Amino acid sequence: MKWQRKDILAIEDMSVEEIRHILHTAKVMKEILMRPIKKLPTLKGKSVVNLFYEASTRTRTSFEMAGKVLGADTTSIAVAQSSVSKGESLYDTAKTIQAMRADLVIIRHSSSGSAKFLADILDAGVINAGDGQHAHPTQALLDIFTMEEQLGEMDGKKVVIVGDVLHSRVARSNAWCLQKLGVDVTLVGPPTLVPVEMAGLGVKLTHDLDGALPGADVVMALRLQLERQQSGLFPSLREYSHLYGLTTERLKKTGKQSIVLHPGPMNRNVEISDDVADSVEALIERQVTNGVAIRMALIYLLIGGSGNVVA
Amino acid sequence: MWWLKEVWVIDPSQSLSAPRDVLVKGGQVLEMASSMTEEEVLTIAQGEPVETINAKGKFVFPGLIDVHTHLREPGQEEKEDILSGSRAAVRGGFTTILAMANTKPVIDNRALVEFVLLQGVRAGYAHVLPIGTVTKGMQGSELVEMVDMKEGGAAAFSDDGKNIQNAEMMRLALEYAKLTGLPIISHCEDKDLAGDGLMRRGVTSARMGLKGIPASAESVIVARDLLLAEETGGKLHLAHISTTESVNLIREAKARGVNVTAEVNPHHLIFCDEDITLTDTALKVNPPLGSRGDRESLIEGLRDGTLDMIATDHAPHTQSEKTRPFAEAPFGIASLETALSAVWQYLVLPGQLSLDRVIEAWSYSPAQRFGLSGGTLKPGSSADMVLFDPDFSEVIDSATLVSKARNTPFLGKSLQGFPIMVWVEGQLVQRNRTVI
Ligand SMILES: [Zn+2]
Repeated sequence: MKWQRKDILAIEDMSVEEIRHILHTAKVMKEILMRPIKKLPTLKGKSVVNLFYEASTRTRTSFEMAGKVLGADTTSIAVAQSSVSKGESLYDTAKTIQAMRADLVIIRHSSSGSAKFLADILDAGVINAGDGQHAHPTQALLDIFTMEEQLGEMDGKKVVIVGDVLHSRVARSNAWCLQKLGVDVTLVGPPTLVPVEMAGLGVKLTHDLDGALPGADVVMALRLQLERQQSGLFPSLREYSHLYGLTTERLKKTGKQSIVLHPGPMNRNVEISDDVADSVEALIERQVTNGVAIRMALIYLLIGGSGNVVA
Repeated sequence: MWWLKEVWVIDPSQSLSAPRDVLVKGGQVLEMASSMTEEEVLTIAQGEPVETINAKGKFVFPGLIDVHTHLREPGQEEKEDILSGSRAAVRGGFTTILAMANTKPVIDNRALVEFVLLQGVRAGYAHVLPIGTVTKGMQGSELVEMVDMKEGGAAAFSDDGKNIQNAEMMRLALEYAKLTGLPIISHCEDKDLAGDGLMRRGVTSARMGLKGIPASAESVIVARDLLLAEETGGKLHLAHISTTESVNLIREAKARGVNVTAEVNPHHLIFCDEDITLTDTALKVNPPLGSRGDRESLIEGLRDGTLDMIATDHAPHTQSEKTRPFAEAPFGIASLETALSAVWQYLVLPGQLSLDRVIEAWSYSPAQRFGLSGGTLKPGSSADMVLFDPDFSEVIDSATLVSKARNTPFLGKSLQGFPIMVWVEGQLVQRNRTVI
């Protein structure tokens, strides 16, 4: 297909064809990554700016590496998440970046919509590396990539996402991505974290994890922000992990050799028991590589022009 | 002297909606008749020059009275001041505006009340009437000197912008304000339920990952304040009603005889939460835009009189404040210059509301409730008056707005139906969309 998009902001507005094209491109990128010499001249002279308002070494490093492998010049601007009233506004920063004539900007920011806000101002392409509670498209793409690597085409398969869905951009992006690809998705958590209005994502909701597990091919545990307890969203870690923690015993209810995913970092023995966490760790190395491949694919598609490394 | 020929007069104070010839002289509405001859008019003019307006197909009605505007002076003049705000008012068809008290400093004593009043007189456009706070410093713990402030010109009391969370404080305010006869205006927002939400809680907020404000954040306080008004017999006015539940509560309370009135903002009648996009901060407003069902309840409530008035909640902000990610932009819509036109285009033209009801709710009812002059075109009354051209259309443009603010969802869009002449006390202050 001919790539048209200037930005990657959310899975919600992407077509199945685009998602499939990204996954296909990422597959090629992964092969390149596995080569002994993994430096390409493809994006020589192109500049990629990493603009991270939230600390995330893992995601930032992944983007940096993806850019470097493709031969782009990458600059990282780590901005301390200062109070809103202080410091330079995102608008001013955008104007500065515009003047720098960057080709691509990767943004992570605590406000939902900030990636779109930036993309509307910049001529440069923008990749959303996580905006508030809205979207984290590259995470969803690397998750589906990993799932399909393990299980083959996900169409018709069943995925259960359990945890703090309300506050999770990972859950939102995964819900959109998976349902577009024909996956049966169920979001699970207590009513305070999976309120009825989440039905707007178009997937199933339930508060009963044990009832949701049978037949699940993939179970994804979300990271629980421990401070949610202080806001009264759940009474205790003890009760939370009793109801929604993934244990080996509980996972037997799927009746399958299901795989478990977690966007990390994990709260061991809260959303995931130690033994299950170990099995997730095994997948994490693969996830890291897949993350770089997905991000290479996106950077390449957005600013690679016609220089064809991908057949 | 002005002679408006064959104009359609809407004056709810006389239950009048009919074509008339209208004469304005010496700052007053002099006479209204089915038709007049030139001879009759010249006799009445007694040598004074007569400007004749052929106003067939146009409407004349009493100048609109807006009981809820934020003029930002003193303290935040970069957003708006009393001069720019009152110019925006007459451009939009408002001849009297009530200025909310949440300025910097807040209007919590007589000296400040008189300052706002005086700035309005100095500006010389719309009548500007100050609203005083209910509590000192808007801290919610001690009442202001209500009687003294009334003598200084306060038209009502409100901690608008902030809810009086302490129910006992609200009860005391409703009791004490009886000494003044003025209403207490409630901001109707439970602080804890609203939290740091950004838009109405619902499917749309959930989808976009914008923190939601439940409808109950408003209705809980509406219920509380209605009970307090009922118990005390105090005079209550509820600001910016936006939910179905609130409308139902008010309807029931009125049936029980509670001394309450309520207002609704044009944007809540026109938009709903589904219209909000992640980067459109012009629609970020508090209370937030409700559901489609809420919008219908509000229109119904306004039609059946449960909601007594329309008020803009004109909330000007600078462009740099609004040009931010959604979570970081301030709440509010600047609407004095577009509100009437928007209501005409989105509600009157499609037949959802009659123009007669709109004028009653935006002029006559506010005058009655707040004890203001205006809101009528009865012969002998002060000529605060609007000539409205239903066919006039205009693109809302940064260059022509006279408010300092540009935070309107209609910026760059075309609206139809505008006030083309506005008089305050018989003085023409706006002609052909230009403030004089
Ligand atoms: Zn208010």
